This record gives sequence, C-alpha cells and structure tokens, in this order.
Amino acid sequence: MTAGLAGLLPLRMSFEKQETMIKIIILSLAAITAFSVRLFAVIRFESVIHEFDPYFNYRTTRFLTEEGYYNFHNWFDDRAWYPLGRIIGGTIYPGLMVTSAIFYKILHFFHFTLHIREVCVFLAPLFSSFTTIITYMLTKELKGEGAGLVAASMIAIVPGYISRSVAGSYDNEAIAIFCMLFTYYLWIKAVKTGSIFWSALCSLAYFYMVSSWGGYVFLINLIPLHVLALIFSGRFSHRIYVAYSTVYVIGTILSMQIPFVGFGPVQSSEHMAAFGTFGLCQLCAFAGWLRSKMSEENFQVLFKSVIAVAGLAVFGGVAVATFLGKIAPWTGRFYSLLDPSYAKNNIPIIASVSEHQPTAWSSFYFDLQMLVFMFPAGLYFCFKKLTDHNIFIILYGVTSIYFAGVMVRLMLVLAPVMCILAGIAVSSTLNTYMKNLDVSQKQRGKLAKGGDRNYPYKNEVAWGVVAILTGFLMTYGFHCTWVTAEAYSSPSIVLSARTGDGGKIIFDDFREAYYWLRQNTHEDAKIMSWWDYGYQITAIANRTVLVDNNTWNNTHISRVGQAMASPEEHSYEIMRELDVDYVLVIFGGVTGYSSDDINKFLWMVRIGGSTPEGSHIKEHDYYTPTGEFRIDREGSQTMLNSLMYKLCYYRFGGVYTEQGRPTGYDRVRNSEIGNKDFELDFLEEAYTTEHWIVRIYRVKPQENRGQK
Amino acid sequence: MAAMRTTTVLLLLAVFIHDVGGQKALSLDEKVRNLQESLYKKPVMNLNMDRWKTYVRTAPRNYSMIVMFTALSAGVNCPICRPAYDEFHIVANSFRYAYPELKSLYFALVDYEEASNIFQQMNLNTAPVLYHFPAKGGRKKSDQMDFQRHGIDAEAIAKFVQDRTDVQVRVLRPPNYAAPAVVILLAMLVLGLLYMRRNNLEFLYNRTSWGLICLCIVFAFMSGQMWNHIRGPPFVMTNPKTRETTFVHSSSQFQLVSETYLVAVLYAAVTAGVILMNDAVDGKGDPSKRRIMAFVGLGMVVIFFSLLLSVFRSKYQGYPYSFLFH
Repeated sequence: MTAGLAGLLPLRMSFEKQETMIKIIILSLAAITAFSVRLFAVIRFESVIHEFDPYFNYRTTRFLTEEGYYNFHNWFDDRAWYPLGRIIGGTIYPGLMVTSAIFYKILHFFHFTLHIREVCVFLAPLFSSFTTIITYMLTKELKGEGAGLVAASMIAIVPGYISRSVAGSYDNEAIAIFCMLFTYYLWIKAVKTGSIFWSALCSLAYFYMVSSWGGYVFLINLIPLHVLALIFSGRFSHRIYVAYSTVYVIGTILSMQIPFVGFGPVQSSEHMAAFGTFGLCQLCAFAGWLRSKMSEENFQVLFKSVIAVAGLAVFGGVAVATFLGKIAPWTGRFYSLLDPSYAKNNIPIIASVSEHQPTAWSSFYFDLQMLVFMFPAGLYFCFKKLTDHNIFIILYGVTSIYFAGVMVRLMLVLAPVMCILAGIAVSSTLNTYMKNLDVSQKQRGKLAKGGDRNYPYKNEVAWGVVAILTGFLMTYGFHCTWVTAEAYSSPSIVLSARTGDGGKIIFDDFREAYYWLRQNTHEDAKIMSWWDYGYQITAIANRTVLVDNNTWNNTHISRVGQAMASPEEHSYEIMRELDVDYVLVIFGGVTGYSSDDINKFLWMVRIGGSTPEGSHIKEHDYYTPTGEFRIDREGSQTMLNSLMYKLCYYRFGGVYTEQGRPTGYDRVRNSEIGNKDFELDFLEEAYTTEHWIVRIYRVKPQENRGQK
Repeated sequence: MAAMRTTTVLLLLAVFIHDVGGQKALSLDEKVRNLQESLYKKPVMNLNMDRWKTYVRTAPRNYSMIVMFTALSAGVNCPICRPAYDEFHIVANSFRYAYPELKSLYFALVDYEEASNIFQQMNLNTAPVLYHFPAKGGRKKSDQMDFQRHGIDAEAIAKFVQDRTDVQVRVLRPPNYAAPAVVILLAMLVLGLLYMRRNNLEFLYNRTSWGLICLCIVFAFMSGQMWNHIRGPPFVMTNPKTRETTFVHSSSQFQLVSETYLVAVLYAAVTAGVILMNDAVDGKGDPSKRRIMAFVGLGMVVIFFSLLLSVFRSKYQGYPYSFLFH
C-alpha cells in the first residue's frame, strides 16, 4: 500500500522527503494566506495608507529614503507645531522606517522601481508572513513540528493580529510582533543550548525589537521573569546563566544606542527588574561555585550571614530613601498604582483614548474565536509536561492575558501566544486520535488479532473527534475572514457608504481637500485644524500645521481650541497671533459622517478652557440651560456664534440634505440648525469638497488702513 | 429629690433659652471665638440651619467661609460625594495645621440629610458643590468651584482656596498605613504558613495546583472581569416597563456581570471537554470508562460551544455563523 501511495506522486520520494514537502507546502500556503487576507482594503479602495499615525511614519520614511540616515537623524521638522517645530530623529523608534528604506533600496538595486508608498503599504502583510514562519519555528522548539504547523496556520489569520497589520496600516506594531516572536525563538534556543552564539543572536533580535516599538518593555520584563521562575523552581543551570547574562549585557548596551531610548535601560524603573535578575543570576552562580568548593556546614553559615547582611542593607536603604524623601511608600497613592483602574479614574487623557479601554469578553471572542478555549487546554498540556521552555510560554500567556484585559490594544501581544498554545492543544488532540483511526480494513484485522486492550467504538469516537476538530478549524477560518472583511479593513481616510438601493458610494473628500491645499496654497501657508488631522495634512498636503497627533504641548493645543471655540472677532486675534492662513474643519452634516468636528467640539472647549488664556471659555456656556449640547434653535448663543459653528454651517442653511426635511437639516445631529443666515467677516470660504466633509477657509489679511 | 430634679430641668431650660436668645445677638468677636473653638475640635464645622444662619448668612463677618454642600448618607446615591469630602477634609486639616490662629478663613460642611432646607435656600439640586462665601461683598460666579473642570483633588481645592482668599494651603496628606499594613500582614501570613509546613514544601512544586491557578486567571480575564472591575456594570438589567430581566446585554460595547460569569463557565466547560477527550486516550484505566470520558468530552465541546455561539450572536447583531442552537 505504501508503495502505491508513493507511486501517486510524480517523483519517487522517501517518506522523509514527502513529509518535508508537505510541511513546506503547508507553511508557504499559510504565509501566502497571511499576506493575502490583509489585502481587503487595497482591493476595495486602492493602495493607500490608513488612518493618522501611519501618515507620519510614511512621511518620515519618505524623508529617510530621500535624504539619507544622517539627515533623518538630525531632522528638525518645521512643518509641525508651528512656530515650535519638532525634533524628529530623537523622538521616534526608527526601526520601521529603516526597514522600509532597506526594502526600498534592495528593490531599486534590482530595478524594481516601486514608489516608497507601495513599500509602506505592503510592509505589514509581508511581515505577517514572516511572523507565520517564525511562529512555526518557535512552536516547533516548544512542542513539535505538527503543533508548529497548526500554530502557523492559526496566526496567519487571527483577527487580533490582523487588526493592526492590514495592508496600509503602516505602524510600529506591524513589524514589532515579528521582532518579538523572533527574539522569543532565539531566547528559547539560547536556553536550550546554553550557547553564547544563540544568546548573542537573541540580543541582536532584541535590539531590532527595541528600535521598532515601545512595547519592548514587555519583553525585557518577561525574559527576567522566566529566569526568576527557573531559579525558584530549582531549574537554574549553567545554560540559563550563560544565556541570560549574555542577552542582558549585550541587549542593554545595544538598546541604549537608540536615541529615543537613551539611558532608560539603566535608569528607569521598568528596566530594574531585568537588572535585579541579572544580579541574582550572578549570585546564584557564585553560590553554586562556592558550594562545590567548601563543606556543607561552612556554606550554610556563609549563606545565612550573607542573607542577613543583604536584608539589613535593603532595609536601611529603604529607610534612608524614605527619610530623604526619594520614595514615599506610606501614601495611599503609591498603592493605588498597583490597581489597574487607577489610570482610568485619575488620568483623563488616558481615559479619553479608546485604545486604552479595558477589553470586554465579546472582543476577546471576536478577535480570537476558538482560541479562547483551546488556549487554556494548551496551557494545561504545558503544565503536564513542564520543561524550561514550557515555563516561558506559560509565563508569556498569563502575563499577556493580564495586559490584554486591561487595555484593548494589547490584544496584539496576546494573539501570538494564543495561537501557539492553541496550536499545541489542537495538534496533541489530533495526534492522539489520528492514531486511533482505522484507515483500512486490513489494519483493523491486524489490530483485533493483536489483542488490543483499547475500548470499543474506538474508531468511531476517533472519527467523531477528528470531524469536530476539522469543523472547528473551518469555522475559525470563516470567522476570521468575516471579521477581517467587516471590521478591520477600512482605511478611514477614504470612506464608503451604502446607498438605499444597495450601491456603494466612496467619499474621497479628505484626499481631495489635501490635494487642493497642496496645489493651490502658498508653500509656507499655515493650516489650522484640530490635532487629529495634523499628520495627514503635513504628509499629504505638505503644509505647516499648528498641532498634530503627537500631543506633547498642551498649551498649544489649548490655543487652537480657544480659537475654535471663541466668537469670530476674538478668534481672528488668536489666528493673527498664530500666523494662520487657512482653517480646515471636518463637517459631516451632509453625509452623516459622525466623527466630525462638531461632535469633537466639546473636547476643544474643555482643552481650550484648561489654560489661563482660555479663562473666558466655560464649558457650561455651550450647553442649553437644561444641560444639553444642541445646534438647533434651542442651542446656547455662545455655541451658535462660535467660530467652529460658523465654519461648519456657513451656507448650509440653504441646502436640502434629506427628503421631507427643511433646509439646513444636519444628518448627524438629526436636527435643523439654529443659526442659518450669517456672513463671515474675517474669513472667506476657500474650498469645500464634493460631499462637504472638508471645508477650508482663508483668513483675510488685515485692512490696509485700519478699521473703516 | 423630686424638687432637685425639677430645678435641674429648669436650669437646663434656662440655659437652652439663654443659648437661643444669645445666638441672635452674637457679636463678631463671639462668632470668631466660637468658630475658633470649633476649629480646635475638628477642622470642618458641620452646619445645621441655625449655625448656617449665624456664621454664614448674618452680616458682621470679617472671615471667609468655604462651604461644601454634599450628601454623605448611604441613602443618597452619590458615589463621588465621599471621595470629594475626603479630599476637602484633607485641605481643611492641612489648613488647620498651618494656620491655627489665622481667624480669616473657616471650612464648613452642609449635609443634605441634616439640612435639606439649606439646599433649597441655595437653590441647589446637585451635590457635591463647593462655595466660597467672601468676607465682604456678595458672592460672584467664580466663587463656586468647578469640579467638572478641576476635579475633586485636594490640590485643586487648595488652588481654588488660594485663588479666592489668597491663603496658600500646602496639602498634607495623612499617611495611609492601612494598605502597607494589609500587605505586611498578608506576607506574614503566607510566610508563617510556609514556616509551619517547612518540612513539607512539596506542595509548592505541585503542578496541578499551579495549573489550576493559571487556568482560573485566564478564564477570569477572558470573560472580561477586568472590564467589570473598571467599569462596574450592574449584575442584571431589569426593564422598568415590562419587568423583564436580561442577563445578556444586547450590545457588544457593554456587558453585564451575569453574562461574564455565564461566559466564564462556558469557556471552562469547553476547555474541560477538550482536556477530557485527550485524557481519555492517554489514561490507562478501564476501557469502557475511557470510552465514556471521550464521549462526554466530545459532547461537552459541541454543546457548550454552540451555547457560546448563541450568546455571542445575541450580542453581535448580524454575526452569520451558528451551530446546533440558534
């Protein structure tokens, strides 16, 4: 029979070769799927960069390819935060930009003259394919090749990872997950072999990780935690000593070469765990050496006295530091930091960002589907066969599920370990039951004759289990594709909507407006808009903005908020002070695009009123006496005469938006606007896009001979 | 004996009458002296209607009052009142520590339960509210502290006080020994237990217990207990009109405590099914028992997974997949 099966294949290959070929086919299929499932947005719209932060990354990458690394490193950007500017080189993680630039150079060396934008768009899917392969290698080290293949196929399409790595979402996380898993793989290798070679490679991978994402802090705490767990479970050995000492020393020195990280690894508190573990490692190794050289009683005496002295020293140190006021362990605040809800309740800027929200159970299921119950099973299997490297993956799983529970965006860190452990669970289930399948009558007879002491209906049960698992894996595939297509593939710079008859409309107003700015305004024109659109304006329109998404200067943002919230004549003074030439507002009243500037207006009022210059702006002036935020006739007069209101609703009072409604009917707020007939004194309309989503106004110059 | 008791009562009455009569005509010096005495006793004065009239409303005053209007009783649903009062108390205490003899600024409190008519008089329908009553002149709009914008922190209140009265209060937080004490007690308890069992520490290396702890953590987090901890949703929701109780909220943006427990149980059941299926083959027990184990495991996986899907479908409108149950 075996000969016949082999005969089906065109080449007569040995079993090993056949196995290798199947593995390669599965792995490459998984990698190709990982790439292609992320292309929904490219196919539906076009090859376009998504959202906000990726535009900044794209702009810096373009600068890097055009000007070279040294200019990039020394880049002072005068297009952002006018008149302050921003030092770019020292305030970003350059790994992403350098990676794209290298790909770009290689492609151009071979005369594939791709635009840098295409490289940026497709970088995230490409790295997802790499992640698939590295997941296979990592899981193979942990469990075996079968589990590796299952885990690789799972991570190829897991929505929790796709959400941040579709084509066009050109952000640090796109490459960081690959770097993280690569570092883990090399760490496991180093722990297994105890060789300096693998450890040095691991620290190089760690360096790449540090250069690309701030999340490296998770990694530099997880690896010491693993070492600690090994020490406490009595598994400390020379292999681990060599691996950790090498990784820590080389990794720390390398990570300090990134300008943005600087001296953090030896100063800041989140790196101290790694440092402490390094010291403990040396002590453990030294104690082991001493023990081998002296008698047991002497060693015990020495051990106890050293412990006592060290304890006293720590206690004295804490007491002195408390006395000098360096640390304050007795106030309630110190302990409330341990509570994860602390930041949510006490730091409003964290509370206001949706990415910092905790994770509801439904988003766990939405992003991971069958992994949510295969993952615990995998964890159980790891506990059954505890090894040095299994401890690592258990720690990774438990810590990352804590972080994913606190913050929804950290689902990204959880997704890979979910896939790895679920892969282990699925493959060991399949392994045990596939053996029980009777594929031919001949074998069954043989087994029956051999006096098999297994249970009856073994074959049928095995068929059932295999069928159910196959069904699960299929629903996993369907679910992931559906989620990707529905939830994670909208670029948000190009919008689409369904018409009443099921057709599709594309709103490309953002790019239309930015190109208008690029073509029709002076090169040094200053554009005022709310900070959300800063990155896009600098990247696409190539004009100077006052504030952007890197919200580092609160007073400057506040000044813009004051200009938007004040009446026109007062705003004009602020705009003159800030040298504003154009004002750009986002308005959804015609199309029903709900995240427009009127809906964000209260944040402008709050932030505008939070500094001394904005003391005339009070939030309750913008509400009706009953405390509502309205734009119709009932709305407060301050609201109806603010600059933002006028810029959004200028000339809107004469427009029909919906059948059976009066003119000036706002489709987002579902009401007729209250202030219809007004003219602008200090600004003039410069451009309004096709669907009115972006409106641009020119600030008039001052009268030549004073007031008339 | 009886006569004596009568005199006592009479005396008390006389004192009472004298007191009431005297309050009407309290001079400025007396008021300040009374306030000062109250300050020695406690940093924040509790105002009832009489005291409110005497010390805040009646004219001869050369001191400012910072008054917090709040509702501290358990019956009133005001979760922010207690922390706001605590912060206010810290400011008042710091003030007393720094300027015990200043005589130009006093802190006072009006509780809704004790003096709801003051709330009516001030035309207040929210709590907590912090007012400054200046020594001279009427109250301005800025004499009300804006909790919305500045928050309820003691530092913010101190800044407000400084703005209005030019008295700079350095906030001194009383050290909180409760949390470290609890931590130290717990640590001592654990260490003590370990010391008691020092001859038999094998249980620390017991994989099954560690594995179970890890699984519990995983189920707790995956079922969104952290979300519950941060957001504090209700356990179930009852529709006020139909009196129907819902256990599963129909939006994916929100969840009820009951549904998270339900989901945690479902996850645990499916996982247990998977583990049972595996152990059935690995085990070396009775063949028929192992067959039952495999069947039970398979059944658990299928049934509880379908239940999980139907719970999820009720949250995500338009989710296209279902299995067994609808």
